[in-house]
Amino acid sequence: MSTSTGSWADAPDGAILLTYANGDVEAARVLSGRLLPRVLAQATRMLSDQAEAEDVAQEAMMRLWKIAPDWRQDEAQVSTWLYRVVANLCTDRLRKRRGVSLDQITEPADPTASAAGQIQDNARLSALSAALTELPERQAQAVSLRHLEGLSNPDIADIMNISVRSVESLTARGKRALADILRKHKSALGYDDD
Amino acid sequence: MMTKSDDEFLDDIFGTAKAQPTLVPDDLMARVMADAQSALVKPDGAPKQSLFAGVFDIIGGWPSVGGLAMAGVAGLWFGVSPPAALSTWTAELIGVPVSVDLFGDTTAYFAETQIDG
Repeated sequence: MSTSTGSWADAPDGAILLTYANGDVEAARVLSGRLLPRVLAQATRMLSDQAEAEDVAQEAMMRLWKIAPDWRQDEAQVSTWLYRVVANLCTDRLRKRRGVSLDQITEPADPTASAAGQIQDNARLSALSAALTELPERQAQAVSLRHLEGLSNPDIADIMNISVRSVESLTARGKRALADILRKHKSALGYDDD
Repeated sequence: MMTKSDDEFLDDIFGTAKAQPTLVPDDLMARVMADAQSALVKPDGAPKQSLFAGVFDIIGGWPSVGGLAMAGVAGLWFGVSPPAALSTWTAELIGVPVSVDLFGDTTAYFAETQIDG
């Protein structure tokens, strides 16, 4: 098979994955170019930690390479499978972080940084990630897929193997719980209190 | 119940998270590609297999085991009830068994006289 990137342009992810499984490493390069940015972004948004997000992204891709020989194109989409794997890996990491005080996290970590706005953004992202650790795992996954990844409820239902109604319930309760947690830190995060 | 203000500040935080640029560092891409390469290559320390499995592989798997079983059954059958044609063939090949009496009647008589004196 040709290894030029252009020849892969219209090929579905599953077909490229099977080509990789048949020994074509160039197919892995094409797939990584397509999927790794989104995988890393999802992990970064949930974890708010670059090093941890990179570890999760690498682990998720490694799992993809390992499952490649057994991949069945008709059963799932690679992107859906990866959303699920990354969400699970991230909630595993968030679980290990439990107990870290949100007060510690919302303090700007680097007061010497020149861009005050970036400091505040970082504080908000860290607070969001810390607040996610306090949610039940399924709620944290549903909220992050809905509000951080911008996926539709049917897509989330597919990823989480639950009904759309359950997704609606999980996202509503999760968002309400996040608001309850973060409301206490609104002023520290640069928002005016009501 | 969330107030509108709750919605606004949460959505603002979500928006901040979504707006963060994500660039894949070169070293991460290199690690991922190294993983892809290694996942394709069968590791040296390959899955250990039992002695039976090793022998099984060497003799050629189930088809060979089937042949061995058939040969064993045939051998047993020939041993218990050899066909006449086989007896003729073996007789031609290795000859007919002949009984030889090494100690005939005269030998026994001779021995008795020696013992009795």
